[in-house]
Amino acid sequence: MSDTRVSIALCTGSLLEGSLRLLAAAGIVQLDVKQLGRRLLVEKGGVRIVLVRPSDVAAYVDFGAADLGIVGKDQLWESTGAHYELVDLGFGGCTLVLAVPDGSPLRGPETWPPVLRVATKYPRATAAFFARVGGAADIVPLHGSVELAPQVGLADAIVDLTATGTTLRENRLRVVAEVEASTARLIANQASLKTRSGEVQSLVTRLARAVAAR
Amino acid sequence: MRSSQEAILAEMRRWGYRFVVTPTLESVDVLGLGLGAEQRRRLFKFADGDGSLLAIVGEKTIPVARLAAGGLRSAPLPLRLCYAASVLANDAGRFSNRRETHQAGAELIGAAGPVADAEMIALAVRCLDAAGLRRYQVDVGHSEFFKGLLAGFRLDPQVEAGVKSALAAHDFVALERLLATTRLRSAERELLLRFPALRGGPEILDAASRLVGNRRSEKALEELRRVHELLGTHGLAALVNLDLGAIRDFDYYTGVIFEAFGPDLGRSVAAGGRYDRLLERFGRPAAATGFVVHLDLVAEAIGRSGERPPLPRLDAAVAWSAAGLPPALRLAASLRLFGMRAIVDTESRSAAAAKLWRVQLGAVNLLHCTGEGRVAWVDSAGKAHRLPPEQVVGRMAGAVM
Repeated sequence: MSDTRVSIALCTGSLLEGSLRLLAAAGIVQLDVKQLGRRLLVEKGGVRIVLVRPSDVAAYVDFGAADLGIVGKDQLWESTGAHYELVDLGFGGCTLVLAVPDGSPLRGPETWPPVLRVATKYPRATAAFFARVGGAADIVPLHGSVELAPQVGLADAIVDLTATGTTLRENRLRVVAEVEASTARLIANQASLKTRSGEVQSLVTRLARAVAAR
Repeated sequence: MRSSQEAILAEMRRWGYRFVVTPTLESVDVLGLGLGAEQRRRLFKFADGDGSLLAIVGEKTIPVARLAAGGLRSAPLPLRLCYAASVLANDAGRFSNRRETHQAGAELIGAAGPVADAEMIALAVRCLDAAGLRRYQVDVGHSEFFKGLLAGFRLDPQVEAGVKSALAAHDFVALERLLATTRLRSAERELLLRFPALRGGPEILDAASRLVGNRRSEKALEELRRVHELLGTHGLAALVNLDLGAIRDFDYYTGVIFEAFGPDLGRSVAAGGRYDRLLERFGRPAAATGFVVHLDLVAEAIGRSGERPPLPRLDAAVAWSAAGLPPALRLAASLRLFGMRAIVDTESRSAAAAKLWRVQLGAVNLLHCTGEGRVAWVDSAGKAHRLPPEQVVGRMAGAVM
């Protein structure tokens, strides 16, 4: 972007409202979800807002198509990005958990079989967890409907994200361990912090202050 | 990309750097002497007939260091060496699906101190200029500043490893959480969290020296001050920022480090620094500094800026008809002896058709031979002449030189 505007990538979905509220609280730009409508690119208040899928925010920032990004930590577990992770924005909290069917005898690590078969959309975070607790896991990477895997015998357990636990309960799954916790994070392109440090740094400071003031 | 590479190598030669060619294949054990675990993982590895593990080199500094300590062992230090090559990584990079990338680099082996550090940075800048890159900037830091800072805190080794990996991943959220579990005083914690923002002109060196109280960091600041002065003398003060937050490859770099950021690329086009501990692993202890230019990125930056590098100038299109081929071939050979670029037509062409052909080629001069004797020459101004071949060559060479 040879443009002078600083661009910020936001993700569509559950974090969008919180992201816009934070940008407003930091005095950067006033926008609401309705105003955005179906637009994916908005220029207002000296910034350019880019709306992308949650899993694409890091790519936009890493490649320098956006200077800053607001994204859930859960989206960062699976990729080694080249961005800077600057601020824990505090909203959009959810937990990555290890869950088993209600009727399963599995509880703490001492009850696990020598190799636990685990279905997940988060293979890297899952592998790191099992390395940490010292268990062995046979990880089945899936792209969706992970809750289904234990019911059809694809896996003994799942590792999945939960905010309220509703989906887990509906699928008669029980949490046996917490793997990771996620909240929204502010990330920055490594070169933007250097080549446009004035503008970018000032936005980062304003966002960090708005978070601290809550 | 080829023209950027040629321009960069020509600049390196002007600074007295010798071009070296190093093997593309090395034993994994040899490369492993200079690589971290992550870099070793990314090598393309395979076994030879005896079962020894080989790898395609993923960067050129190690092969050059090996050459300096091996084949060039008897050459006096300091050695100024340069290279251009493609390197391979056995996973798709963070930025593209390319596993093969092109690099040009220079290494100054056997010279310690700020004068050598400044030479390396100045050479890197001149190379980027020569390649045609515009609007970039160079961040200069020092690996020992942070190491001194960290050593001064006497952290538990496990925590210290955590701090390093959080910083290497640029994860300041994790860093802050980790530091909250330590007994560091809040001023020290603040210093670790804020030092990545210590960036700017020489005034930040004063600000930083008020903050730190350890000899190692202070020495780093003094060296940086001297390098910054020297870069001013090299005429580069406007391009250079000091960046105390620069932290890359903790275990590899041992002194002044730098990175050049191109416009709108979101990553660095050239990077380098001092690595005084590498050569000793190959049996010839020597201070060393060097840098690498990522040619793919330079080409991308130039392409994006819309300034297409000019096509190489073609001095002469040599056309012929009738019995004109032998004199046309001799004429082109004479022009090339004078360093001019000449193309000889592969088929007979009339004088009128030759004019169109010259336009297609974008040649500066058109020559048309029809037999022994005089040559029809249309010069750069479009003026027509009929002259003996020696005179055409003489006048064209005169115009070029």
